[in-house]
Amino acid sequence: MRVGILGLGAIGAVHAAAWAETEAEFVGGFDPVPENAQAIAAKYGGRAYPDIESLLEDVDIVDICTPTHLHHPQVLQAAAAGKHIVCEKPLARTLEQGREMVAACNAAGVRLLVAHVVRFFPEYRRAKDAVDAGMIGEPAVIRLQRDVFQPRKAAGNWFVDFGKSGGMMLDLMIHDFDYARWVAGEVKTVFAKSIGTSGMEAGVDHGLAILTHHNGAISHIEGSWAYPPPTFRTKFEIAGSQGLIVHDSDATAPIQVFRHQQDEDSAEVPVPASPLLESPYTAEIRAFHRAIVEDSPVPVSAADGLAALQIALAAMESAQTGKPVTLEPLPEVGA
Amino acid sequence: MKIGILSFAHLHAEAYAHNLKALPGVELLGIADEDRARGEHFAGVYETRLFPSCEALLEANPDGVIVCSENARHRPLVELSAQAGVPVMCEKPLATTLEDAQAMMEACERAGVILMTAFPMRFSAPLLEVKTLLDQGGLGRVYACNTVNQGQMPKRYRDWFVDKELAGGGSVMDHTVHLADVLRWYLNSEVVEVYGQTNLIIHREAVDVETGGLVMLTFANGTFATIDCSWSRPLNYPTWGGLALDLIGERGVVSVDAFRQNLTAYDNRAEHPVYLPWGSDADGAMLTEFVSAIREERAPRVTGYDGYKALEIALAVYRSAELGEPVRL
Repeated sequence: MRVGILGLGAIGAVHAAAWAETEAEFVGGFDPVPENAQAIAAKYGGRAYPDIESLLEDVDIVDICTPTHLHHPQVLQAAAAGKHIVCEKPLARTLEQGREMVAACNAAGVRLLVAHVVRFFPEYRRAKDAVDAGMIGEPAVIRLQRDVFQPRKAAGNWFVDFGKSGGMMLDLMIHDFDYARWVAGEVKTVFAKSIGTSGMEAGVDHGLAILTHHNGAISHIEGSWAYPPPTFRTKFEIAGSQGLIVHDSDATAPIQVFRHQQDEDSAEVPVPASPLLESPYTAEIRAFHRAIVEDSPVPVSAADGLAALQIALAAMESAQTGKPVTLEPLPEVGA
Repeated sequence: MKIGILSFAHLHAEAYAHNLKALPGVELLGIADEDRARGEHFAGVYETRLFPSCEALLEANPDGVIVCSENARHRPLVELSAQAGVPVMCEKPLATTLEDAQAMMEACERAGVILMTAFPMRFSAPLLEVKTLLDQGGLGRVYACNTVNQGQMPKRYRDWFVDKELAGGGSVMDHTVHLADVLRWYLNSEVVEVYGQTNLIIHREAVDVETGGLVMLTFANGTFATIDCSWSRPLNYPTWGGLALDLIGERGVVSVDAFRQNLTAYDNRAEHPVYLPWGSDADGAMLTEFVSAIREERAPRVTGYDGYKALEIALAVYRSAELGEPVRL
């Protein structure tokens, strides 16, 4: 299988490193900033492509790591070219786009894998397995918290452009919307409040959401771009009828460094890291690669990506209107 | 100064009795309890006098009383104390209905006696430190708050804690009022909208009140805040629960945990590790304030009105949960 990456910013580079760990043949990638693609080719082989079309000609799988608003046209283009697709989360900028993308991939007979990488983080995976094994009984009250700094970019910071990214609730909180649904099942209603998160280079972006699941469980989701760099803090707890599972990334950080000089070289875009022998991104890409090669199911389907998108958009709508939003069942999800 | 305790229905009466005995210049006058056996037991434990009735205790000229009856039974004891002209500190929640809370406030106002609501978090050293920081503008404008006051299901302490009539509800009534009060105090603003979702999954075989609850408050100044009031701490959790807030503001974020100052102790003979708290005692500071307010004939730092406003919020959570919609206050 030949694979190429579309979009070689922060996540594209992480995915390139992950593909290099698989048996797939990495052909390189395309980025509107040629230096980005050249740097990746120099490091992982392959070449810098001059455009999307030439990249698509050379691959079986295209991994789309571009800004959110580009996912829709690029996925449609790749599907039309008959390529399997890995698409960074969120699946799309709107639900209509997402549904069209899923339908197009189905019609073209290509796989569409949505990179909800949190499902591959071992602490989240371990908790999900423990819940599935019945360790805490039936999930009742779930709390998921993800606190980071606002992504920075030297130029073209699409993260803080609401039209492109959808803001923090769509870009960041969607991780935990997906996880809440994975652990506690389909979501019935969403009520949320937020500050900032409509772009405008706002200094603060913060959101709080309460989800009600069909089975009666309730979830509290916090997402934040209100912390100073280099904060990347995640916490969760899952309280159930028989027990409680708690995680705190600060409390489980195995290394603490105290330097006299403050580093000012923290990343542009927050990426979580706890030392592991295999990066969760690599685990994700391996699983996706295997699923495509073997034509087998993956831990996160296109329908899952669509469902997470629906919850995030509902949270944004609720924060906008001040009203709870009831989710319509998605035929694609079969719920 | 002589202070009496009316009823030992609430387990906090035990902490108050213990604290009162340690306060300089304060004497535990005695206790009254409608449950004769319980009254005799605690009179023995705290080596104090058991009065045959609340009336009898009030006739013995206390300088103040603490009401620790079941939540729904605060009103008659507060009214009795007000009629006797005795200042009152009442356990939280102030009452289980706004009518009762209003009547209690009016009775004390008519009699010209203090009505204090027992909100110990106003006297927590970590929380006070953050109040100072906020008042000094250390966080700038506060945009959002993520707060938790989770605990163990309290049935093992007293059966009435999970009795809908006597307690007024479950975890929402038990836990929402503390953070509702802290947030009003921190933000100097009143709640204008309340949204709540509750469930009964945890301990559903043992109780028929809600054990899970998530609340979203919106304040007049625009700040929004969530409260997790769930009884979601398992029975073998190292402590009863906790109370903590993350405040997200213009200048950054402050996290404060009222109960983090603990040692963790492991004991071969125990089923689970336990916390040994070493922080300052907020209950003691709260009683000191009650006694000082009586001495100085002034309003206490947390009043019956504060208790009323917190109750109003908790009751709105139930209304919202039933409607599935936010409710305006």
